Amino acid sequence: METFQVHILAADKTFYEGPCESLVVPTSDGEQGILAHHSAMIAAIQPGLLRYQVPGQPARLAAISPGMVKVEKNDVLVLVDSVERPEEIDAVRAQREADQAMEALLQKKSRQEHQIAQATLARAVNRLRVKAIGPNN
Amino acid sequence: MAGTKEIKTHIQSVQETRKITNAMYLIASTKLRRARQELDNTRPYFEALRGEIKRIFRTVSDVDSRYFYPVNDDTPLEGTYGCLVITADKGLAGSYNQNAIREAQRLLEQHPDTKLFVVGEYGRRFFAQRNIPIEHSFLYTAQNPTMARAREISALLLDGFDRGELKEIFVIYTDMESAMSFQARAARLLPFHRSHFVTPPGERAVTEPFEFLPSVKPVLDNLMPSYVSGFIYSALIDSFCCEQNARMSAMDSANQNAESLLGELSLQFNRVRQSAITQEITEVSAGARAQRKKKE
Repeated sequence: METFQVHILAADKTFYEGPCESLVVPTSDGEQGILAHHSAMIAAIQPGLLRYQVPGQPARLAAISPGMVKVEKNDVLVLVDSVERPEEIDAVRAQREADQAMEALLQKKSRQEHQIAQATLARAVNRLRVKAIGPNN
Repeated sequence: MAGTKEIKTHIQSVQETRKITNAMYLIASTKLRRARQELDNTRPYFEALRGEIKRIFRTVSDVDSRYFYPVNDDTPLEGTYGCLVITADKGLAGSYNQNAIREAQRLLEQHPDTKLFVVGEYGRRFFAQRNIPIEHSFLYTAQNPTMARAREISALLLDGFDRGELKEIFVIYTDMESAMSFQARAARLLPFHRSHFVTPPGERAVTEPFEFLPSVKPVLDNLMPSYVSGFIYSALIDSFCCEQNARMSAMDSANQNAESLLGELSLQFNRVRQSAITQEITEVSAGARAQRKKKE
């Protein structure tokens, strides 16, 4: 299978750089699959599940937060706030964060606190989902 | 001339102070190393992000977003400004805090209608003492800058910006130019202007048009909070590095001062002791001579 270069950059680290056979990212219009020689594109990424296939290895999963993906000349750049592998996710912590955010949403707080709680909830739920799928699909 | 006892206590107190400054020096150097590491980790992301925003900007010239200045127009906007000032939590760092505060005061003079958001205890106290209104609920320390904290700060500022309460947002931080020199800087964060995005060297020209999914505006709206929090994060870390660096050099010169002070004091101490001994010998020998004369 043909490969392309992918750069997955998170705010606190460079997550993965190297060849890749296929990449699936969650965008606002649903999941978007990218193969080699994809046309030039820039898309907004929603919090969700990132899947990528490194040649000769099983597909890998990761939980990602909002950001963007850019495809240009067989070179894919994924820029997101955070990327986490399932094994890095602490399910207990994510659950606690989700509960806290849920509680904060129930209390009628200011608009801004509401938004922060919503974003936290989305991140935590996403982590839990990725954790549940597990590292080996 | 001071007696031996006074000099001895002075020497002891200088030695104790030197112990403290030396410890602070070591702590600052470890913190600096850690913060530098973090800065290096986040740099590729931030630079790529900045590059992409700029390219989106150039690919589609007719972006109409509240985050951008209109093309070819860079006049200051009317209304309340927001200003994020990053200072340290404590002093003892040379002129680090003063420089940042001076920069903030300059901005205040130019545009009095500015709301201050202050990070760090030192700056907060400074403005509170002078009755300069600051956002009091804004309690962040300058220690251990993390992405989560930067995100909270940027959410707060962006919220003010989105509601139209803040027309422009500035960040005052200290930039590390090289290992030895740093400079307090005021940067306008929002709204963006084309000229604010520097062209990274070796940038490829856009040859084929991009397809935007779903469209340009949502992509930009998605990116902007990341960019703002990324900018704030790197500003926090940059300032933190500078703070530790300033503290290191301040403590280093304090150590050197202590060394030279100790040298002087021990010289003085030896002199006083020697003169006391000499005096005693003179007295003893004079007494002996007097006794001998009496016998003769």
